[in-house]
Amino acid sequence: MGSRASTLLREEEIEEIKKETGFSHSQITRLYSRFTSLDKGENGTLSREDFQRIPELAINPLGDRIINAFFPEGEDQVNFRGFMRTLAHFRPIEDNEKNKNSSASEPLNSRTNKLLFAFRLYDLDRDDKISRDELLQVLRMMVGVNISDEQLGSIADRTIQEADTNGDNSISFNEFIKVPPVDGEQDY
Amino acid sequence: MDALVLCLLLSAYPLGCPGLTPPAQLPQPHNLPPAPGSNGSHRSLSVDLPMALRVFSVDYHHVQAPFEIVLWIMLASLAKLGFHWSGRVPAVVPESCLLIMVGLLVGGVIYGVRHSAPPTLSAEAFFLFLLPPIVLDAGYFLPGRLFFENLGTILWYAVLGTLWNVLGIGVSLYGVCLLAHSSLGDVSLLHCLLFGSLIAAVDPVAVLSVFQEMHVNEQLHILVFGESLLNDAVTVVLYKLFESFLRLPSVSGLDVLLGGCRVVVVGLGGLFVGLFFGLVAALTSRFTSRAQVIAPLFVFLYSYLSYLTSEMLHLSGIMAIVTCAVTMKQYVEANVSERSNTSIQYFLKMWSSVSETLIFIFLGVSTIQDVHMWSWPFVCSTLLLCLVWRATGVLLLTAVVNKLRRNAVTFRDQFIIAYGGLRGAICFSLVFLIDDFPKKRLFITTTIVVILFTVFVQGMTIKPLVELLDVKRKKRALPTVSEEIHSRLIDHLLAGIEDVVGYWGQHYWKDKFEQFNKKYLRRFLIREERQARSSILRVYQELERREQRGDEEAPPLVDPRSNSRPLLPEEMDSIRRILSRNLHNFNKRQTPAYSRHTLHQDATMDRTRKPLHRHQSLGDRYTYNTITHWPQVEDVEFNGSHKLRAGLSRSHTVCSISPRHVLQDTSAPVSTAQTAPADPRSSSATADQVSPQHQTPGGRGPKKQLSFDLESEKK
Repeated sequence: MGSRASTLLREEEIEEIKKETGFSHSQITRLYSRFTSLDKGENGTLSREDFQRIPELAINPLGDRIINAFFPEGEDQVNFRGFMRTLAHFRPIEDNEKNKNSSASEPLNSRTNKLLFAFRLYDLDRDDKISRDELLQVLRMMVGVNISDEQLGSIADRTIQEADTNGDNSISFNEFIKVPPVDGEQDY
Repeated sequence: MDALVLCLLLSAYPLGCPGLTPPAQLPQPHNLPPAPGSNGSHRSLSVDLPMALRVFSVDYHHVQAPFEIVLWIMLASLAKLGFHWSGRVPAVVPESCLLIMVGLLVGGVIYGVRHSAPPTLSAEAFFLFLLPPIVLDAGYFLPGRLFFENLGTILWYAVLGTLWNVLGIGVSLYGVCLLAHSSLGDVSLLHCLLFGSLIAAVDPVAVLSVFQEMHVNEQLHILVFGESLLNDAVTVVLYKLFESFLRLPSVSGLDVLLGGCRVVVVGLGGLFVGLFFGLVAALTSRFTSRAQVIAPLFVFLYSYLSYLTSEMLHLSGIMAIVTCAVTMKQYVEANVSERSNTSIQYFLKMWSSVSETLIFIFLGVSTIQDVHMWSWPFVCSTLLLCLVWRATGVLLLTAVVNKLRRNAVTFRDQFIIAYGGLRGAICFSLVFLIDDFPKKRLFITTTIVVILFTVFVQGMTIKPLVELLDVKRKKRALPTVSEEIHSRLIDHLLAGIEDVVGYWGQHYWKDKFEQFNKKYLRRFLIREERQARSSILRVYQELERREQRGDEEAPPLVDPRSNSRPLLPEEMDSIRRILSRNLHNFNKRQTPAYSRHTLHQDATMDRTRKPLHRHQSLGDRYTYNTITHWPQVEDVEFNGSHKLRAGLSRSHTVCSISPRHVLQDTSAPVSTAQTAPADPRSSSATADQVSPQHQTPGGRGPKKQLSFDLESEKK
């Protein structure tokens, strides 16, 4: 299994991905074998149906949105580079990286970028603001049909109230990152 | 079948219920005087009517054995009913404690009436009849995936932990005996080791019954439970090993080495026996379509056979029966009709319930005996050492294993594992089986004390202590609403990414096994028509199962308020309650997957109820499903059934009990609960994928409903 994967993925590519995402060599080869096992059509790219075939993702309330996050704007296929780029957001922050501030741009898996990823799950129209409707949609997905619309509405209003500092009745990214998550995000 | 043999065994201990008159014998047709028997039970009552036919007579002796067995079981079941009737008592005092107290009471009564020891729990009866149903039940409902994911850790705790405990307790007890040379001088090292091996055994029965009440997350549950199941191999082997060492004139290093090999042989041997019987059972169930009524019987017969076979070969019976159950489960469920599945599950629950109750009652009864020998140093030090060694063992092992695990075992979990190591009836039976030696009665007394201590003290205090630990963690401020929502979102996100990536390492073997399973095993062991199962369908079933695990209670009434003013604290509380109950918690699941009293994974109910309404992309099916499937809801009363039924009236804000009144009200709120699927593309994609696959297996009863609904929704 391992050997088959690395013959299809050239060393230069692995190096490039390593530089861009920070994953180690073995991690990249393992992820590549996962990529190929998901790629039923064997054409080197993943489509949305490939993702939907993952059973646990189908029952995840945010499954669709997560899948969407892998595909860049307007496209229906994602290749391995794109796959890795998205996954790089979730690489655990290594200890030795915390001290490095040499890199000009922030690494993909910094806390801010992770939160940006989460923010984009809410913000479908990419206007950098979570409106009440977008919040309602996500709440409805997470909560199910158990709660009536009015109750959900009041919860959404409360959420916006708590986070909104500039009074525009929506949550911008800066307001979003000020909300400390319970239990901390797990360094995955 | 086993009742018959059970009655033969129990009749060896004349039970005799107080208050019954001595039995009369029916008169012979030719009027011979009754033969004088050695005990008074054969003589007839007043002899003044020798010629006439007796109109009414009592012949107790004829039915004595089965009658008494039934009375015991009846007592046990009535006691169980009684506890559940009172709402608050089971929450504070675990059921096992209450049952032991009942047993003590009954034992005391019998002792008082007959002035001799009441019958004790025979080790044979325990091992051959009472233990298998419980272990079978546990094995059948074992959450397979979770178990195999944590298998390494479980084995680590079971094998190494038990070894640590046994050796530790044995050696330190020997030290105590040396110190208290005057009273305990004749207890040798081997005896101490033997005692250590039987007292270190954590008992699955006791553990399960206490964990019922506690809400532990699934991972912890499977760790403790899996450990208690698997340590049987180690315990029994060590026990037999030390026992045989005691019989040998001397013990050499070679014997110890052979003993070590024996552990491995016993464990693996039990595993293979179980595998074999599981596969044979699966194969047999393939051909039961013409005689569906006896299909459940095969499950029980084969499992019991595997247990007996491995006991015969001196292998680990518990391992065999668990493996058998785990192996045959998926194939049997696929092959056998819905009703047979339900019967299997119900019978398993019933038998294991009865067994467990009987065990605890007998534990109580057997405590009242003449044979106690007390020794303060021995008993107290045993208690102390058990706790100390278990705690240190868990701490050390966890420190090592946490480096290799993805989800670390937290301190709270470690505490629960260490403190939740309850001893139960297995120790009790093992101690009775020891060859007689001067201090045997001391061992028996100590064992009883340890069991009672762990079950009562540890069982009752574990829940408050855990809550205390939790409270300490929760000292910081309650999270705000947005924190909760966002953290839940991040949870789901991480879980989704985890699933995309697949679990590294374990995934490879799981994949390989699934491929093997699909290519060979399923084709061989499952009936033709039932083989076409796409993974989507399995997801569907998984959804149903998770649905049952999720919170079933209806949300409380909350008045909707206008947006502008800030919310009062009560409203905040109610919002928080709603959120905590309804935000899906797929990943850190809080409810136990296994429950003695209810069938959480009730496949039949699931398929007729279609609890898919929580999944977003299938949200619009909810309306259709609840209304059509109402008539199929059977008014079956079992523990927790009101939860399931209330689940159907979910769109209501008021919890209702009977399905009737909700029927009229359901239609109105459901329409308001209609949600626009967030991603219409994906919902149609899923629907498309499911329906065509379903054309073929539309054969049998409930499956027909399944395919019918999905197809018509597609239209």
